[in-house]
Amino acid sequence: MASGDPQDQDMVARLLPIAALDELLGLLRDQGYEVIGPTIDQDAIVYDTIASTDDLPRGWTDEQQPGSYRLKRRDDDALFGYVVGPHSWKRYLFPPLTTVLVSERTESGWRMRSPEEESPRYAFLGVRACELAAIAVQDRVFAEGDYVDPIYQSRRNNAFIIAVNCTQAAATCFCTSMDTGPRCRAGFDLALTELSTGFVVEVGSERGAELLDQLALRDATQDELNRANEARHVAVTQIQRKLDTSDVHDLLLNNLEHPRWNAIATRCLSCTNCTMVCPTCFCSSVEELPNLSTERVERQRHWDSCFNVDFSYMNGGTVRNSIRTRYRQWLTHKLATWTDQFGTSGCVGCGRCITWCPVGIDLTEEVAALRKLT
Amino acid sequence: MDGLRLGEILRELSFTSSLSDSARARIGEIATLACFPVGSVLFREGGGNPNFFLIREGRVGLDMNVPGRGPVRILTLGPGDMVGWSALIGSGEMTTSAMALENTEVIVCPGKKLMELSASNHEIGYQFMNRVAMALAHRLTSTRLQLLDLFEDPPPVLSAMRGESRGER
Amino acid sequence: MTEQLTTQSEHPNYWVPHPVVIEKVRQEVPRVATYELAFVDSATAGDYRFAPGQFNMIYVPGVGEVPISLSTDPNSRRTWAHTIRTAGNTTHAIEQLGAGAMIGMRGPYGTAWPLESSAGGDLLLIAGGIGLAPLRPVIYHVMAHRANFGRVTLLYGARSPDTMLYRDESDLWSRCGVEIETTVDRASSDWQGNVGVVTLLLARLRELRIQRTVLMICGPEVMMRHTVKAACDRGIQHDQIWVSLERNMQCAVGLCGHCQLGPSFLCHDGPVFRYDAVAPFMAIEGL
Repeated sequence: MASGDPQDQDMVARLLPIAALDELLGLLRDQGYEVIGPTIDQDAIVYDTIASTDDLPRGWTDEQQPGSYRLKRRDDDALFGYVVGPHSWKRYLFPPLTTVLVSERTESGWRMRSPEEESPRYAFLGVRACELAAIAVQDRVFAEGDYVDPIYQSRRNNAFIIAVNCTQAAATCFCTSMDTGPRCRAGFDLALTELSTGFVVEVGSERGAELLDQLALRDATQDELNRANEARHVAVTQIQRKLDTSDVHDLLLNNLEHPRWNAIATRCLSCTNCTMVCPTCFCSSVEELPNLSTERVERQRHWDSCFNVDFSYMNGGTVRNSIRTRYRQWLTHKLATWTDQFGTSGCVGCGRCITWCPVGIDLTEEVAALRKLT
Repeated sequence: MDGLRLGEILRELSFTSSLSDSARARIGEIATLACFPVGSVLFREGGGNPNFFLIREGRVGLDMNVPGRGPVRILTLGPGDMVGWSALIGSGEMTTSAMALENTEVIVCPGKKLMELSASNHEIGYQFMNRVAMALAHRLTSTRLQLLDLFEDPPPVLSAMRGESRGER
Repeated sequence: MTEQLTTQSEHPNYWVPHPVVIEKVRQEVPRVATYELAFVDSATAGDYRFAPGQFNMIYVPGVGEVPISLSTDPNSRRTWAHTIRTAGNTTHAIEQLGAGAMIGMRGPYGTAWPLESSAGGDLLLIAGGIGLAPLRPVIYHVMAHRANFGRVTLLYGARSPDTMLYRDESDLWSRCGVEIETTVDRASSDWQGNVGVVTLLLARLRELRIQRTVLMICGPEVMMRHTVKAACDRGIQHDQIWVSLERNMQCAVGLCGHCQLGPSFLCHDGPVFRYDAVAPFMAIEGL
């Protein structure tokens, strides 16, 4: 029942024994990378520094529904037997809090300069297909426009990406609708598919190939490739949700005064969870942080959200003065005007906004409702 | 006043240019041209005024008297504008004083004759009142814009928290 | 694998402002002053150019940063004037600092008034309140290139006579062939000029050559919308009309999300827009 994915014929695939994964991570550390991967914290699978595969959520899985996230024990020892949690990789490439400018008082006034911080070198372990797509979306925003964010750019250039192909899907996933997964196609250095006996590993870059060559790995057998195919196909069959993107741009922009927005507004708390967990949301604000003597000032950029009341404050009034207008801004930007601005959708179908919304608002449902009622 | 010249003037004036030829002709029969030199008064607030005016050239200022502040100019009008619509509508008591701010040439229509014309010829009456209604609606919107005080400086919003000024970061 | 994104040196940190000194402060009307800023580094001054309609981010370390349109001659070579109204923490700090203080400035950002494409036509500038400041560079440009344009008219509305900007320059502008008409919402006892909203001046404007007129409007959004309507009543089309819009701005480079109106980032796709591009979005409340 192999899916016959033509990509499988192109990529070189080797077999990485489970025990060798730690060796791989060790090689990365030797090269100066800090390895970031999934680990359990406060009953969720988050992304944090991991010292070894012991830190990975071995034998755990997640069950996700609108407004619900629970960890459950698996009946096997899979290291990557879950999907995505409240963290995304944007917290490492586009940090939640960072200094963008330092000003120091001088005799004549001020010396204003870039903060002299060395950019960290991260190795991301366990990047899913939707997340590769999200990173590509943020690349377009931060590094491929007229102005480039130097913080994002240097962290991004330094990042080593080990992707993991999903072998299951959560109820809130809809990557197939956004054409972003579940198969990892590009944008990684190495990609793993987990089998009970080891990982089928594909090389996606020269950097990845060089690293892999330092381990003496044999090629994956045809049987192993078939089992990897089947495992990846399970993820496809488990996808429940759909979002029809064929007309979503005009559907939203032609219905900006639709009563459905009022209905959503009675439920939405404007809590900003969706924007915090979304791997592509990029809104931020800046603030001044003087030291006690005010001789040295840091200008700090922090994540912000279009759901915050003051986000659109101007000249004595707030432009988006209601939950209705703020929710409308978020959804129309994510699914419609993002395309006008950056040439792609802002949504990658990861489903986080659905899972982490405290009242369980599901944007796939909202779009379908808008379509039906017009 | 020469009827032909008046007809020409009414044809060019924006207030009357969209009326039908016959409407203009009938109005032309009862209207006259007049000149108000700079500083002269067309009518006074609270007083009577039998005439409806259309400004052809010049400028007219409308003032309202506010005890303690004296006369306050609330509007200036120019070519094409109507002045003295209270002669047609309402009790005939003027709500403002009107003064010529420059040498001003106006078309004078006695209100009584205009109303008699409208009553006897409903078609012309309808056209004319339609123009008056549109001009009043326009003036109402303009007055509302003045009322909104759009250029008012909001008082400076200073907050005590560090850097947390609303909207200025 | 992802290719290396372009190297750091090609893209300097856009957050870093140039140090500038407030060389001169001219009080215009209550709570509004014009600040002439000079670059500390003369090489920067030599390179700096802006087009009428663009803005700078003015920075007071420890307090904050604000977007301010340039209100000065585009041929400036030494100092660049910004007319600023005190409205919040940062503008208040600028007012308190006064002449001699060093602050930061980065820019210019944004789109400009269509002076190239409107050459040969008639310009109709309509400003309300402090909205005259971003149009003043246009007037400077017109004065330096008067032969490029046909009839040039400025219609200016202010709250009251004592809040009208640049009154002492209007003679110069008139002598250079700019027809000026002004009006106020509230007259003072000695005011002999027009009273009423600025849209009335547009309704009365004589000998408007509709086909060749380019209309540039700057002022509060409500005023701009009604001015557009009055212009359309005179037969001017949306693609002949340009407006300057405003939103909360922080990064000025299209990366913080604050200044969005529909698909546009005002810092980058604006603040000057041709009206047909933004009309559908301006019509929606709270967009």
